[in-house]
Amino acid sequence: MHELFEHTADLGLRATAPDLDTLFAEMAACLFTAVLEDETVVKPSVEVEVVLPPDGREYLLFDWLNALLRHFDSGRLLFGRFQVAVGERGLAGRAWGEPFDAARHRLTHEVKAITYHELKVEPTGDGWLAEVIVDI
Amino acid sequence: MAKGAFAGPLEQVDSCCYRIPKSYRPGMRVDGLIFANAKLMEAIRNDQAPDQVANVATLPGIQGASLAMPDIHWGYGFCIGGVCATDPAEGGVISPGGVGYDINCGVRLVKTNLFLRDVQAHVRELIKGLFHTVPAGVGKSGKFRFNDAETRKLMGQGPQFVLDRGLGQAADLDHTEALGRIDGADPDEVSSHAVKRGSEQCGTLGSGNHFLEVQVVDAILDADVAKAFGLELNQVCVMIHSGSRGLGYQVCDDALAAFRNAPAKYGIDLPDRQLACAPVDSPEGKKYIGAMRAAANYGFTNRQLLMHQAREVFADLFGGTWQDLGMDLLYDVAHNIAKLETHVVDGKTKQVWVHRKGATRAFPAGHPEVPEAFRAVGQPVIIPGDMGRASWVLVGAPGSMERSFGTTCHGAGRAMSRTAAVKDAAGRRIDKELEGKGVIAMATSRLGLAEEQPRAYKNVDDVVDVVHEAGLSRKVARMRPIGVIKG
Repeated sequence: MHELFEHTADLGLRATAPDLDTLFAEMAACLFTAVLEDETVVKPSVEVEVVLPPDGREYLLFDWLNALLRHFDSGRLLFGRFQVAVGERGLAGRAWGEPFDAARHRLTHEVKAITYHELKVEPTGDGWLAEVIVDI
Repeated sequence: MAKGAFAGPLEQVDSCCYRIPKSYRPGMRVDGLIFANAKLMEAIRNDQAPDQVANVATLPGIQGASLAMPDIHWGYGFCIGGVCATDPAEGGVISPGGVGYDINCGVRLVKTNLFLRDVQAHVRELIKGLFHTVPAGVGKSGKFRFNDAETRKLMGQGPQFVLDRGLGQAADLDHTEALGRIDGADPDEVSSHAVKRGSEQCGTLGSGNHFLEVQVVDAILDADVAKAFGLELNQVCVMIHSGSRGLGYQVCDDALAAFRNAPAKYGIDLPDRQLACAPVDSPEGKKYIGAMRAAANYGFTNRQLLMHQAREVFADLFGGTWQDLGMDLLYDVAHNIAKLETHVVDGKTKQVWVHRKGATRAFPAGHPEVPEAFRAVGQPVIIPGDMGRASWVLVGAPGSMERSFGTTCHGAGRAMSRTAAVKDAAGRRIDKELEGKGVIAMATSRLGLAEEQPRAYKNVDDVVDVVHEAGLSRKVARMRPIGVIKG
């Protein structure tokens, strides 16, 4: 489950999930709800891979989201489906999407960057919670 | 607001300044000072921003106080409206978070010799022309394309690079902060990815709070200074608010990655990772400064190209050339930047790194960095408000050198979060409401208009009252929007 939350000038991304792998996938989906009016129309026609070396959970989340944002910035790729494995060996993720198509995709926010401000990945009673503020 | 109210001490210093004493939190090296009056302070207390002022007070080498302007609101790391000066000789740091992602986000005001009576019947046509000509919106590319080598050269030269291609006049440089070219820029420190992001975006507005507005001079508050600035009642002007686009965001992002381990390496204890910093003289610090200055020069050039496109639209619509229409640049000023400047701290003259994140340089009369044309009156300061009420032209005042490292406010400051503004706008047509107030608005996204609706912002008049009373800058002219384009 994921949602956008309030931040005075920018936007917050929040997700909860029973495990870390799902949490990271949910946060990626949340990022594209901030970018797109309707992220469900993104077709999974292109696949990209993201591999990250071991690091703290929060930095892995930051780098995972940043890698996806880079694909959008430089390749105009939008994503709608994600698969992630997070563990002691780092992160191995895949994202499926398609190039931006002005006829079908309505962009809503220019996410300038993922920020470290109040970045969190923490266990809850029955799973995990993540929060990130993105700069608009 | 998204988070709880500030629970710490806010001691009133005078009618427009409040202090967070350094005893508030361990690690604070100096006090925090927030320029605000009692009315604005009520809203500021309900935000996390004062805590961010206290966080900045912990940075090594900070001088004087951690400052915030009356348009302060919650940012990431530094608050928006934050000012921090550090002394390299005292282990002072440079912080990319103290500049922000949009390096050299700033504003320029372009004059015309047209008056409201000349333009009134053509506002819709004018705004349509601007909207179709000036690229705006998320990640939008423009008509100016530069390859890798050209983009790097542009970052070294600033607007001179496009003036050499006939896209402006020499006087534009004289009326741009730092003459549009910050010395010490090192384009080679800008990553290939950043250059790629910037190669097609120079001359584009972007989205969020960026805009291009057609305004009229609504009131003159200081006739002598207005005359020196060439402003008259009912004169039509163009205000442009944008920054360094994807290139600047990437320079900041690259620096934050490079600074990730710097706090541990240099023994700096940070209350927020987004305050990531490194000593000015460290390898990380030097690289960031070179890249940040290069991105700043790109920002000046971006606004130069935006102005050029606006000039062409005016010339097409009103006939003649833009020179015939008197479309001279009044001034271009940055409000997200860090600069090495000379200031007097505790009676000693020092070279300090002044970080301005959502704050504007406001040098007074006589300062050597004020353009010759304005040196007798002071530096023009351009303060954008919201698209329904007003913006301001101020002039730098001596109090800025005494109290705020030559700095004043940068805008109205948000009063509502983006999500709250969208909820507030549900069922309303913001463009129609603006039209009812005499403002023609065109935007690429209706959501963007909702997020940026006038009541999402504080009243800029209240903000300007404070900096005027505090002596940081003085009111010269109030500007009223008649048309706006947004991403």
